Amino acid sequence: MEAMGRVAAGELANAFCFIGAGGHHAGRNFFGGYCCFNDVVIALRQARRTGRLRRVAILDTDAHHGDGTRDLVAADPDVLHVCVCGSDYAPPEGTKVDIAAPDPWSLNGSPDEAYLELVRQAFPARAERFRPDLLVWYFGFDTHRGDYGDLGLTLAAYLGIADVMLETAGRVCGGKLLVVLGGGSRTDLATRLIPPIIAKLGGLAHRQPAATG
Amino acid sequence: MEGNGQHGRMSGRVIGGITGIYYHPSFSRRSYLTTGRRLADFPAALDPLLQHPQVVLYECPPATDELILLAHEPALIPQVEADLL
Repeated sequence: MEAMGRVAAGELANAFCFIGAGGHHAGRNFFGGYCCFNDVVIALRQARRTGRLRRVAILDTDAHHGDGTRDLVAADPDVLHVCVCGSDYAPPEGTKVDIAAPDPWSLNGSPDEAYLELVRQAFPARAERFRPDLLVWYFGFDTHRGDYGDLGLTLAAYLGIADVMLETAGRVCGGKLLVVLGGGSRTDLATRLIPPIIAKLGGLAHRQPAATG
Repeated sequence: MEGNGQHGRMSGRVIGGITGIYYHPSFSRRSYLTTGRRLADFPAALDPLLQHPQVVLYECPPATDELILLAHEPALIPQVEADLL
């Protein structure tokens, strides 16, 4: 909550939020998938209460559908929710969108590049039209090769998504970007993947770890 | 929890250009799938980043029930408390 409020207020350029048991599978009256309360929607509503923002564009690249977030924002015209998951859904109204992630087992090329291209097609133009006050990226690394939502991705994909989000935020909302950690179960992957993402947010060079797994 | 001497909240001062990292020790006690810390050597894994003045580690303040009720029905709170995760 504090992170969103301070980014919205311009007190921070951007922020990376670790979670205990967050967020996107928690709906108004249900929770599951190790998600207790919907941190992003609570933060959004609190930020609105304090007048710090109104419109938010969310990209969810966790492996699974953000059903809790969708439940909470379904009737909210001031939230763009683009979820890269297991299905395609694009209603005419256009602010609550599901995009089917590429199946790594049927690709000829790189899963990283296919996923990144999907994100490039799915999010920046929609966000630009939507004119949000702030962007949120649910960063799940459960899609990494070898984790439980394996889509064959590696660090390169996440760094690419970070670039897309930073560039989009720079164009549409003064760079205001909140990155919220999503799924991912392997501590070794967290340790290898998270610091480079934070380095991107801070505009810092980060020594790339050796590619494994 | 220390960053570069700037940890904790900064009372409303405009510090544009700062990347904030938000964390609370409780996240390592009751955590998502992983038992214990999500980063193997948290927060040491972040030390190289925290050497830079534009990256600051903050401890998340607790969320009150009032805040939780902005999004959830009251009955959810005891259900979550009773869940073993």
